[in-house]
Amino acid sequence: MNRRLMALSKYVAFARLSATHGRYDRSELYGRMAFFVVILGVFSSLWRATREAGLAIAADPKSLVWYLASTEWILLSAPLMHVDIQETLRRGDVAYELGRPVSYVGATFARGLGFVASRSPLLAATAFLCAFAFTGWVPPWRALAAVVLFGSIAIALLTALHLAIGLVAFWIGEVTPVFWVWQKLLFVFGGLMLPIRLYPPVMQRLAALTPFPDILAGPASFVLDGEAVAARVLVVRLAMWCVATTALVQWMYARARRALTVNGG
Amino acid sequence: MHPRRNSIRFAAALLATNLKASLMLRGAFAMQVIFMALNNFTFFVFWWVLMRRVPEIRGWRLTDIELLFGIVAVAVGLAITVAGGVRYLGQFIEQGELDTLLVQPPPVLLHAVGMRSQSSGFGDMVSGLILIALSGQVSWIDTPRVVVAIVAAALVFAASGILFFSVAFWLGKSDTVARQMWELVITFSLYPEPLFGGVLRLVLFTLIPAAWVGYMPAHIARHASADQLLLLTSAAAGYLVLAAVMFQRGLRRYASGSRFGVFG
Repeated sequence: MNRRLMALSKYVAFARLSATHGRYDRSELYGRMAFFVVILGVFSSLWRATREAGLAIAADPKSLVWYLASTEWILLSAPLMHVDIQETLRRGDVAYELGRPVSYVGATFARGLGFVASRSPLLAATAFLCAFAFTGWVPPWRALAAVVLFGSIAIALLTALHLAIGLVAFWIGEVTPVFWVWQKLLFVFGGLMLPIRLYPPVMQRLAALTPFPDILAGPASFVLDGEAVAARVLVVRLAMWCVATTALVQWMYARARRALTVNGG
Repeated sequence: MHPRRNSIRFAAALLATNLKASLMLRGAFAMQVIFMALNNFTFFVFWWVLMRRVPEIRGWRLTDIELLFGIVAVAVGLAITVAGGVRYLGQFIEQGELDTLLVQPPPVLLHAVGMRSQSSGFGDMVSGLILIALSGQVSWIDTPRVVVAIVAAALVFAASGILFFSVAFWLGKSDTVARQMWELVITFSLYPEPLFGGVLRLVLFTLIPAAWVGYMPAHIARHASADQLLLLTSAAAGYLVLAAVMFQRGLRRYASGSRFGVFG
């Protein structure tokens, strides 16, 4: 067999194993599905109330519910890789992981994608069903297909970025505070609950300098009437951030290996 | 000495020990406090942005939402600082970790919930107090009434956690579901009351007691109402009694972990 294919098959095996784990351990998944019901219910009521107030807020309340369903789907589908890496380091298990004939970050990323493959379709189904139940409306199929396509790329990018945050644990041990800051920046500048164009101009300009709007608002904006960013622009920006994240992870991992002090084990 | 007085002294000593333990690691403590406060303010950005465009939603203005957020943040922060062990009750029950508490004189529930104070609770309290101040709706004269309302809200929140996590006595591994139910109390309490109607409204006053954690204390803070304050404190007492009864009932079914370990 081609050597490259053989190397790739190792990572596919990691991904498949992780997908199997994801299918069996479903308690957290059910919790996330319940969260969708609650948050979309609350927001459909909120958007109805804003319309009652007689004040238009740039988009139809129904499409805003679908927008939230899309951003939450992307956010909740990405596994929290930083927790796994932090725990691997804390327990000293990293000593065994590094000894394997595979790249540690490659295997970890493959596990993350396996997890995404097992959960993301179910979360997407829940999100879209809930959005339909609360609005009685479905966006055009082309818009939904674009959300799924670009959203899937965004989920992979977000998984890789969580991995990069996890690698910080090689230096500081506990990365939860770093994740909190990252997560809140993602919520605000990513336009998790409100489309970016509703933000004050200063915040819009700041957001454009970060990957956050391309991860959440970019893919989700396809369900908003006339607000979708041009698909070509989004492809270019997502590709750019994927390349930058890959380079960042490789660079961090090379430095982390040098900085490694094995604990426990 | 009277057993109840003993329990109060024990709870005070436990709280003091927890606080000392949290403050020992000052860097970590400060980081948790700052990041939790930032976390709360970041969530509030949504309302600041939205209310710039929609000044009033079913009678609720930005200052009302600031007050609601502030009260919920202080109440939740107080609960997880003083009764941080609630979050771990399911784990204690499921993994048989109550063994070491059962052989000690203090009440098991009090001991279990009084452990593991969460430093991030101080961040909640700080951000909550800032939001209450920003709302401009609480004067010095109102302060005692608001303090009572917040303490009652914290008691309801802690009691609901005990109820959710005590389900583990009957169902075993239910920690994730219980945690999510507990988080739902916070989620629902952070949105204006008029958004919810019908059956959901009933649920929010009973099964998921968000109304007692958020809307009712916020209403009491805005409108001096002795009746509603009495209602809120009665609800807090009721939830606490219910939580204690359920925990004690569950404790009869508790199966030991039969393992040796250090607990705390």
